[in-house]
Amino acid sequence: MPGGYTGLFLTVDLISGKISRFVLEEEFFRLHIGGSAVAARLFLDGFPLDCDPLSGANPLIISTGPMTGSAFPGTSRFSVCARSPLTGIWGESACGGTFGPELKRAGYDGLIITGRAPFPCYLRIEDGAAEIIEASEIWGKDIYETTDLLWSKHRSCRVLAIGPAGENLVRFASIGNDKGHFAGRTGLGAVMGAKNLKAIAVKGTGHPEKADKEGFKQALRSAAEEIRSSAFAGSLHAMGSDAGMDLGMMTGDVPIRNWTVGEDYDLSAALGGPALTEKYLVKAHACTHCPIACKRVVRVAEGPYRTEEGPGPEYETCCTFGTMIMNYDLAGVIKANELCNRYGMDTISCGSTVAMAMELFEKGLLSGRDTEGLDMAWGNMPAVFTLLGKIARREGFGGLLAEGSARAAERLGSAAAEASVHVKGLELPMHDPRAFHGMGLAYMVSNRGGCHLQHAVMGTEQGMVSWPQVFTMKDSYTGPESEDKAALVFHSENFGILGNSLAICHYVLYSLKPETVLKAFNVITGFGFGFSDLMVCGTRDWMLKRGINNLLGVTSRNDALPKRIMTALTEGAAAGSVPDTKKLLSEYYALRGLDKQGIPKEDRLQELGLDALNRRLAAVRAAEPVAKEEMKWQN
Amino acid sequence: MAKLKAFTQEWMNAFRQRIADSKEYREIAGNWEGSVSIIINPDPARGVPETVYLFTDYWHGDVKDFLVCDKAKAESADFIMSGDYIRWKQIARKEIEATKALMQGKLKLKGNLVYVVRNVKTVNKVVDLLGEVDTLFPDD
Repeated sequence: MPGGYTGLFLTVDLISGKISRFVLEEEFFRLHIGGSAVAARLFLDGFPLDCDPLSGANPLIISTGPMTGSAFPGTSRFSVCARSPLTGIWGESACGGTFGPELKRAGYDGLIITGRAPFPCYLRIEDGAAEIIEASEIWGKDIYETTDLLWSKHRSCRVLAIGPAGENLVRFASIGNDKGHFAGRTGLGAVMGAKNLKAIAVKGTGHPEKADKEGFKQALRSAAEEIRSSAFAGSLHAMGSDAGMDLGMMTGDVPIRNWTVGEDYDLSAALGGPALTEKYLVKAHACTHCPIACKRVVRVAEGPYRTEEGPGPEYETCCTFGTMIMNYDLAGVIKANELCNRYGMDTISCGSTVAMAMELFEKGLLSGRDTEGLDMAWGNMPAVFTLLGKIARREGFGGLLAEGSARAAERLGSAAAEASVHVKGLELPMHDPRAFHGMGLAYMVSNRGGCHLQHAVMGTEQGMVSWPQVFTMKDSYTGPESEDKAALVFHSENFGILGNSLAICHYVLYSLKPETVLKAFNVITGFGFGFSDLMVCGTRDWMLKRGINNLLGVTSRNDALPKRIMTALTEGAAAGSVPDTKKLLSEYYALRGLDKQGIPKEDRLQELGLDALNRRLAAVRAAEPVAKEEMKWQN
Repeated sequence: MAKLKAFTQEWMNAFRQRIADSKEYREIAGNWEGSVSIIINPDPARGVPETVYLFTDYWHGDVKDFLVCDKAKAESADFIMSGDYIRWKQIARKEIEATKALMQGKLKLKGNLVYVVRNVKTVNKVVDLLGEVDTLFPDD
C-alpha cells in the first residue's frame, strides 16, 4: 500500500450488526486519491443511487485523504458523503478537526455505514476493532453534551456526533466533531439520524506510513515558512474566517437582507473580524497540526445573549445570522451559532432559511398565526433563538423550516419562491455572484448545489492566490464581469476540488505555494504526480459526481442561478451587475465536455477511464432525465 | 504639467497634497491614526539601484509628514509595507490591488493587521489617490 493510506475501509451494517473490512488497492487511489472522490466512486459502484436519503439504504460514507493525519498543515480533514436529504443529489461535507487523523491512526481510510439500527446506537472504533453500542443514555442530548459524555466514557477518543436536529431529520442537520468542527452542508446529520446512529467515537495509536520521510520533513519546513510569511494566513490567525467581511463589503461580496441590499458598512463594522477579535475573542484554536489556527474560541460575558466559552462563528455565520437578517449585534450571532452547534444545524442553510422567513413575514406572506406568535421582524434575535429550538425539534412552524428554504417556500406558494435563494436545493454561501460572476458560474455547476468550496474560485477570482504554474490564468480578474471566467472556473474546479480528495484545507492551500502541496502529496504517497496528473484526478472527481447527479435527474436546466441573484442591486460595488449566465455556461460546457443536456460526453468519460459510468449514462442521454421524488427544489 | 519622478520628495509632496485635497478621504479616514512606511526593494535592472524608504503619517483624516527617509525612520512607522519595485509600480498604476498583492505575498505588511482590516476603506482610498499622481517611474 502506498504511503498515506491504510487501504482499509470499515463497513458497518446497522441492521444485522455485522462489521467487516475491505481493501482498496493502490490503482484505485491513483485514480481517485481520497476523500469525497473515493466516496463518490464507492457510492456509484456499490449502492442504489435513487435510495430514499432518509432510509437505511442510503450509505453514509466517511472518507479521509492520503494527507490526513500526516502532520502537514491543514490535513486533518475528512469528508462525510451520502445522498443528501436536503437536495436529493450527491451530498458531501468536509470537516477539519480531530476525527480524520484519529480514524487513520485507528487503521482506516474510511467507513461505510448502511442500514438503520433497531435502536439508537453509537459506533466505537479503537485500533482496528469496532462495536455498536446502545445509545439511549445520549439520545436526545445536544452535540456538546453528547461529546462530553462520550469523552468521559471512552478516554482520549475523538467524537463525531449529531444533535436533536439530526435525530429529528432536519434536512440541514450537521455533524459535529469534538464540539468545535462541523460537517455542516447538505444535511448529512439527518442521514445519521435516519440510521439511529447518534455518534462515532474513535481512538487510534497507529501512524500512517510515508513514502519519503526525509522529503516530508523538507516539505513541512517549507510549509511552515510559507505560512509564517503569508498575509492571508496571518489575517486568518488574527481574525478567523470573518477577517474578510470588511473587504467583502467594499467589493460587494457580502449578502444583506436576504440578498436584496448591496452595502451597509454599519453591518460590517459591527460583525466583521476586527469586531469579533476585539470584543469576544478568548483565543485562537487549531485543527490538528495546523499552525494557522483560524478557529475562534469566544465568549459573550454579559448581556441578554451571554454564552459560555466555546467555538465562535465563521464568516458565513456572521452573515447568515447577521447581515442576512439585519442583526447588528455580534453577540446575537455568537448565541445563534452556539445554538446551531448544540442542536446540530448547518448555519448557512439554517440562517438563510430564517432570513427567508423574515422576508416573507415582512411581505405578509407569513403571519403571526403561521409563526405561532413569533415576531419574525428583521433582526429580532430572541425570536430567532426560540425558532432555532423549534426547527431542531420540528415543532410547528419550526417543522416547516426544518425542510430547508426551497421546500418550505414551495409549500408557502409561488409568491414565496423568490425569497428562497438556492441552487439545486442548497442555500447559497455568503458570497454574492453579482460581485463575482465566476462564483455565480461555480454555484451553478457545483456538484453539491450552490457551493463555494467544491472549487478554488473564491481564491483565484478574488485574487487571494495566483497559480499560473498550475493553470493558465490572468494576473487579475474584475469581479463583476463574465469575460474569461468560464476558463477560470473550469481550472479552479479541477484543482480546488482536490482539497476534498487530498484532504487539505483551502485556507492552507491558499497560504502555500502549490509546489509545496504537490511535494507533500508525493513524498507521502510516493505517487510522483505532476500538476497535470492532479488536474486529471480533479476532472475525474468532478465528472464522477456530475454523472451521479445526472443519474439522479440533474440536467442543464438545473444549472441556473435563482431569480434573486439575477436581479441587479441598486447600490454597492456590484450595483447594476448580474452574471451573463448564458455566456458563462456555454463556454463552460464546451471546456468541461458536457452535452446540451448537461451530461458528460462519452469521449471525455472514456479519457478518464469512467467506462462504467458511461454505460449507465447511455440511457439518460437517450431520454430526457426525470428528477427523482426527493428533488423538490427544481429551479 | 510634467510627470513627477517617482520616490522623490517632490513626488511625495504631490501625493500628500492629493490626499489632503480629498474630501472623500477626510470622511473615510476619520478613525485612522498612525504612520505607514513603504519600503521598495532594489531593482537595478529597472533603475532602482538601492532600497527606497518612504514615510507617511496620517491622523484622523489629516495628513502629516510625507518624507523620503532613511531605514531607521522607515522602521519607526506603526505599519511597514515592503515589496519589490515592480509590485509597487503595478499598484500605483492600478494594475493590481494592494490588498490582493498582500494576500498573494507580493507585498509584506508589518503592524496590527486587525487595525488595517478595520480600516481597509482608508487603505484602499490612499492607494487609489497614489494612482492619481502623474508619475514617471525609473524604468519608464
